[in-house]
Amino acid sequence: MYGWTGKVLRVNLTDGTTRKEPLRVKDAEAFIGARGLGSKYWIDDVKDLSVDPLSPGNNLLFVTGPLTGTMATSGGRYEVVCKAPLTGTLAASNSGGYFGPELKYAGYDLIVFEGKAPKPVYLYVYNDTVEIRDASALWGKNTHETTDAILAATDPDAKVSCIGPAGEKGVLFAAVINDKHRAAGRSGVGAVMGSKNLKAVAVRGTKGVKVADTAAFLKAVGEAREKLAANPVTSGGLPAFGTNVLVNILNQAGGLPTRNFQTGHFEEADAISGETLSATLLVTKKGCAGCTSACGRVSRTTGKFAGSGEGPEYETAWSFGADCGISDLSAATKANFLCNELGIDTITMGSTIACAMEMFEKGILTESETGMDLSFGNADSMVEMVKKTGLREGFGDKLAMGSWRLATELGHPELSMTAKKQEMPAYDPRALQGMGLEYATSNRGGCHVRGYLTSPEILGLPQKLDPDSIVEKPGWLKAFQDLTGSFDSSGVCLFTTFAIGADELAAQMTTATGVPYTADSIMKAGDRIWNLERLFNLAVGFTKADDTIPPRLLNEPIPTGPAKGKVSRVPEMLPGYYEARGWDESGIPTDAKLEELGLARL
Amino acid sequence: MIRILFFATIRDLTREKETSAPPCPNVRDLFLGLSAIYGEAFRREALEDGDVSGRVIVMVNGRAIAHTGGGKTPLSDGDTVAVFPIIGGG
Repeated sequence: MYGWTGKVLRVNLTDGTTRKEPLRVKDAEAFIGARGLGSKYWIDDVKDLSVDPLSPGNNLLFVTGPLTGTMATSGGRYEVVCKAPLTGTLAASNSGGYFGPELKYAGYDLIVFEGKAPKPVYLYVYNDTVEIRDASALWGKNTHETTDAILAATDPDAKVSCIGPAGEKGVLFAAVINDKHRAAGRSGVGAVMGSKNLKAVAVRGTKGVKVADTAAFLKAVGEAREKLAANPVTSGGLPAFGTNVLVNILNQAGGLPTRNFQTGHFEEADAISGETLSATLLVTKKGCAGCTSACGRVSRTTGKFAGSGEGPEYETAWSFGADCGISDLSAATKANFLCNELGIDTITMGSTIACAMEMFEKGILTESETGMDLSFGNADSMVEMVKKTGLREGFGDKLAMGSWRLATELGHPELSMTAKKQEMPAYDPRALQGMGLEYATSNRGGCHVRGYLTSPEILGLPQKLDPDSIVEKPGWLKAFQDLTGSFDSSGVCLFTTFAIGADELAAQMTTATGVPYTADSIMKAGDRIWNLERLFNLAVGFTKADDTIPPRLLNEPIPTGPAKGKVSRVPEMLPGYYEARGWDESGIPTDAKLEELGLARL
Repeated sequence: MIRILFFATIRDLTREKETSAPPCPNVRDLFLGLSAIYGEAFRREALEDGDVSGRVIVMVNGRAIAHTGGGKTPLSDGDTVAVFPIIGGG
């Protein structure tokens, strides 16, 4: 095969066996790879979709795309796929760095982990050699210590993806961390890895990736790269300031959620912005494999929050900054470092602390329960709570459930800023109508990278849509969701979509794999992936009633800032969205839609 | 007075984060005046064919001028104008 390696590594952790099997070619062509193909494999293999996410029956997959590890535009991505403990949906958490390409170079499109190891283990893959090794001595170590120890024990050029204490201890939003600083962050994939006693996956590969038509592939890649180079986002703003360049523009639009989404404007936003990061904590920028933008930030903090590492991204500067009412960028950056080391999703962590802070200020939580002052703006407490959550100590044991379970246990689910139990990121749906619909309909719950309408609504790309308008948003969202599904599944970074689209992806996919993709078939593959995820959700009990966002955003007008007075109009947009998707009025795909996509109900 | 805020690479051109200007009729006229202060590099980025350039995102009180009349968007005393280059993230 070309693009794909054609090989799957299946690891049964319960009995300690491994085997290699051929890739299901038809599924690969239809679902591409990574997020799409991983979801298809999970569903076909597990069969019992109601499986407890933290039980041995929940398969855990590390999945690349056909363009992962090639010279394709920013083709350094892979996905961790399983059933998510935070949401009950399928989790497909995307990460960059260098792990994904290395897995391809070792000769595998994906690894499927089944069962549960009787004691802590890690998997070491060196091309065709596969070993399940004892990880007892690594249990309890953070992701940096674990990575260093495994590199010392295996090969200094290996790439390591692992969990920290949070994953071991079942924090419901624990992340899988590769290359020390890159996170398959969302939905709790790290907790699933921990539940299997699987501490790490280390891979060393020397085989490369074959493409179908090298000359045509390089031509397609070159043309796409020229567009990235000419684009002011991928060649200008992202390299210069990282993703955190968004703080000020969202704040100016009144859409920077502040103090647990109580308002959309943070008076001290510039202090946590990308501009401030570049002027103060930034050491250098850093790219993932094959990337020409290098939006990653290598940072160093000093003083009481001293540390070094990578970040913060925009979502993280927001979650530990504006959402917690904190204007100390060093504190937010330190919290980011701790999350990477402990193996925690920064978005859910910050938003859960923000939820606890609101409950603390409202008297729902007291200092006797939290162990410390949890007022908005208390940076010391925020950083301490990250540590306690990763280790499940004290009140951190409660925070480890995420905001929805925490607030529900305390009788106030309305204070959890979640969709489908997953925390929403850094865009207030009252100021960006399309993003509200995106949160409500995202198959994995509150998330910004499943149909990023912030791009047209705020950034004016690929064209300028009025963030206040609900007209045309359903159709735009469907197109963005479908395109994102294909990009995620190909192994190419979603950020390239600021400059390129389905045409450029189809050209790279066709020349790499030899399978004739067109822009239309790329969009249809994304539609197929989206509907497969939807069918899973419907099969496990999600309904139209779950396609919503917290009542605060629907009913409470933003009290301050440029978007003052606005509420989200998700309920008005939802029928049009279902229609655009080819679903009935209950949000269920029609027979005609499923036949068009070649899908069967689950 | 009108308050004007600069962000990201625009700050490299203005060498300050914000300034203020006396009331003027619209955004285009404001930018003409700012170009006289900040010079040619700012003018090249902010203006094109005598109007506000497509290389900047401009908001007046939080609303992008793309949806309020472009350079002809009227200004009133007390307005806040925010100027960004084209940026992205996530």
